[in-house]
Amino acid sequence: MSYLITQLMREWGFLLRQKYVVVLLLCSLILSGFAIYSGLSEVSAQQQTIERLKAADQSDRSKVQQKQNDAGMLAYYSFHLTYSQPSNLGFAALGERDIFPWKHRINLLALEGQIYESDSQNAELAQAGKIDFVFVISALAPLVIILLFHDLFANERTSGRHDLLVTTAKSYFALWGVRITVRFVAVIVCLMLPFFVGAVIAGASGFEVAYVSLLCIAYLGFWTALSVWWGKNATSAPRVASSLIGLWVLFAFIIPILGDLAINKSVHSPKGGDIMLTQREAVNDAWDLPKSATMQPFVKEFPEFAPYIDMSSEFEWKWYYAFQQMGDLKAAELSKAYRDATAKKYELAGFVSWVSPPLLLQRILTREANTDSIAAYKYEQQIRDYHQQLREFYYPWLFYKGDPTKAALENMPRFESTTQSSN
Amino acid sequence: MSINNFSKVVIVAKDEWRYWLRSKLAMTVLAIGLLLTLSSVVVTAITMHELSHDRHELQSNAEQSFVEQPDRHPHRMVHYGHYAFRTPSPLSTLDPGIDAYTGNSIFLEGHRQNSAMFADQRQGTALTKLGSLTPAFIVQTLAPLLLILIGYSSISRERESQTLSYLLAQGTSGITLIAGKGLALLSVVGLIIAPLAVSALFTVSAGESLLAVASFVVGYALYLTVWVLLILLASSVFSKNSGSFTALAFVWILLCIVMPRVASTTASTAVPSAGKIETDFAVKAELRKLGDGHNTNDPAFKQFKQSLLEKYNVNSIDELPLNFRGLVASESEAKQAKVLNQFAQQRMQAELKQTQVSRYFGWVSPMVAIRSLSMIVVGTSIETHHRFLRETEQLRFDFVQGLNKIHSEELDYKDDINRNADATATKKASVSAENWQILQDFNFNVDSADVRAQRSVPAFLQLLLWIVVLVGGIKFVGKRLI
Repeated sequence: MSYLITQLMREWGFLLRQKYVVVLLLCSLILSGFAIYSGLSEVSAQQQTIERLKAADQSDRSKVQQKQNDAGMLAYYSFHLTYSQPSNLGFAALGERDIFPWKHRINLLALEGQIYESDSQNAELAQAGKIDFVFVISALAPLVIILLFHDLFANERTSGRHDLLVTTAKSYFALWGVRITVRFVAVIVCLMLPFFVGAVIAGASGFEVAYVSLLCIAYLGFWTALSVWWGKNATSAPRVASSLIGLWVLFAFIIPILGDLAINKSVHSPKGGDIMLTQREAVNDAWDLPKSATMQPFVKEFPEFAPYIDMSSEFEWKWYYAFQQMGDLKAAELSKAYRDATAKKYELAGFVSWVSPPLLLQRILTREANTDSIAAYKYEQQIRDYHQQLREFYYPWLFYKGDPTKAALENMPRFESTTQSSN
Repeated sequence: MSINNFSKVVIVAKDEWRYWLRSKLAMTVLAIGLLLTLSSVVVTAITMHELSHDRHELQSNAEQSFVEQPDRHPHRMVHYGHYAFRTPSPLSTLDPGIDAYTGNSIFLEGHRQNSAMFADQRQGTALTKLGSLTPAFIVQTLAPLLLILIGYSSISRERESQTLSYLLAQGTSGITLIAGKGLALLSVVGLIIAPLAVSALFTVSAGESLLAVASFVVGYALYLTVWVLLILLASSVFSKNSGSFTALAFVWILLCIVMPRVASTTASTAVPSAGKIETDFAVKAELRKLGDGHNTNDPAFKQFKQSLLEKYNVNSIDELPLNFRGLVASESEAKQAKVLNQFAQQRMQAELKQTQVSRYFGWVSPMVAIRSLSMIVVGTSIETHHRFLRETEQLRFDFVQGLNKIHSEELDYKDDINRNADATATKKASVSAENWQILQDFNFNVDSADVRAQRSVPAFLQLLLWIVVLVGGIKFVGKRLI
């Protein structure tokens, strides 16, 4: 045992005396720290934004409610906030939240006309991508590991020490194993330490932290094993590193790019613009069509309003909202196909990620943090469900109950964000 | 440099090529590099042409369906609205920039400024988060790595095999040797850039100016020159191949992979920008003060009504020669647009400020410099999107006010207020479809090449500074080469 400890101490001393190893490790620590810090501040900015929006939304709506009494006008001018809370692990995996919206305000008009609006971030920054823990681990860490481990054997060979070392070492492990272990532990600590600190600050559960750590260590272990194995019989360190970096380029860029091309060619999707046009034409045609052309299909969906569809004027709000709903219905098929195509693409990308470890890790971690495309689709579905609830709330007032009382407005459905955990 | 020296430089360069031609690694790397560049040029050109074609078609469809609408009330057309599509610039075949990250179509209607919809990235596979097959990405990120792989040992190799002292002893100066190796690497740069240059020249026939094409090609040439100089410097400084390689790989990771992201993350943390939803609350509060243009009885229009009565010297709005409702709509639209534009301007300024912060990182990373330079020159930077937003707002305002003018001039006030009485009254309160011709054709063009070139000056300076510093460093090292 004490033999092992002396071995460890020796290698530890070697490591600290090698300047470039220390620089590499320090850089990993700084980058990982920066990623965690910016992730935490991004998540807290998102949370604060949501809180501010909630308050502003409430006061905006109550102003509308003070000013308007008519149910139709109320529904026209009242907007309702929906949002998707960042999860506890969000700080480590910012995921797709810079591309997909996580906040949205809707009113009672046709949803297909509103749901594609995006309150997105600065596009030029989104295009550059953000640095988050997932990026540091999946894309950067392999490079650090390649630089740390590729010259393990070649270095000793070119210095002419290799054979001497091998013959004098007590065992294979005492020499190489200890050296690898020391470097591996050092790099893991530098990369993961900021994550643990961040997890404590963000209040992530122990299970989540353990799961993420396990995945990350396994992933880094994979790259370490690969680097060591590849360099085992080599004499030229740069040659080993070149092929390892080539492999990294293949995994991180080439395979995903080819996969993306293939998937985009194979999955056909309606154009987003067509959904909008269909919906708009349907809504606008309704103005010129006989009222029954709107009301008949409407009562098929909502039979309970059948006794109240007669109109005394050429314009009534109930008819107006009915044809908004019919506009959505006309575009529903296209809209569904559009969403299905998107989901299909993401699903197929899952198969591609099986041959690209960096992507696989990204997918698993963003799924766990609930910041991937799937989370974004779920949020969109929540908006759709909420819009439906709002319709169900307003329709009775529009059709037969008259103007809603202030007390009734209190009972208006509220949006509940249910995206705390991954399921 | 005398002729004699120059011929020595060429000899060194030729010799370096001879070495590469014999090295399996160098040849593989070169082949991969050229294959990637070529395929990215072809694939992106096809994609962007398709996009451009699609959007042109959608644009003319939208215009057609607007003018083909039947006779109706002009305000109906204000809400029927119109679509505008951002057609990509000719050079975007080489750098699509933010095209996929912003919505490319916008719905234009009265009383509102909608945001652009349908960003392609949102329907993506999330596979291209690290990189995409565009010439811009390949040349900005991967080309430097390829140059490193074939050039890291250019001088350290001579030292390691102890040929360096022979070369120096025989009268080849250190600078000549480095210049020769540099020339060889620059010829590789030429090979990588050639497909880009050819593809860029093609865009001239599509209406792109030569200035933009030249800035684009020169920008990339400068960028890769920075890398050649970095490689020469590292290879001269380190005594061993492995040292040179490790240092260069590390610098590449830092400058190409880490810095762009650090830049964008820093920018968004340093200059937080409120999203559209949040600023919309303030917009709505302002708009509410202006009154509802659909409701002529809104107290906000009392003064306007009074001024109209005085202007036309009449006692009631019925006696006005124009349709009061149309006038109110026009008045309120103008006031609203002012408020909306003011806020939109603020939002764009905030975005520009953010972008500016990230562009400052060009001083510490040539990759960030070329990235901004490329997008600016090509016309796929955030400025182009802002131009699109401003132009579409003008289009929106023009057609809405055109319709409001028709509303006040061509439609009788009494017919107008009775429009909902019954079906015939609705029919009476309409104007002829010929009026829809007021819609102007919309064809989005990026800023002129001059403007884009001007914007790219800081990025050019960033690259030039890198070159100056590195040349200085190499001269210093070259004189002391042993």
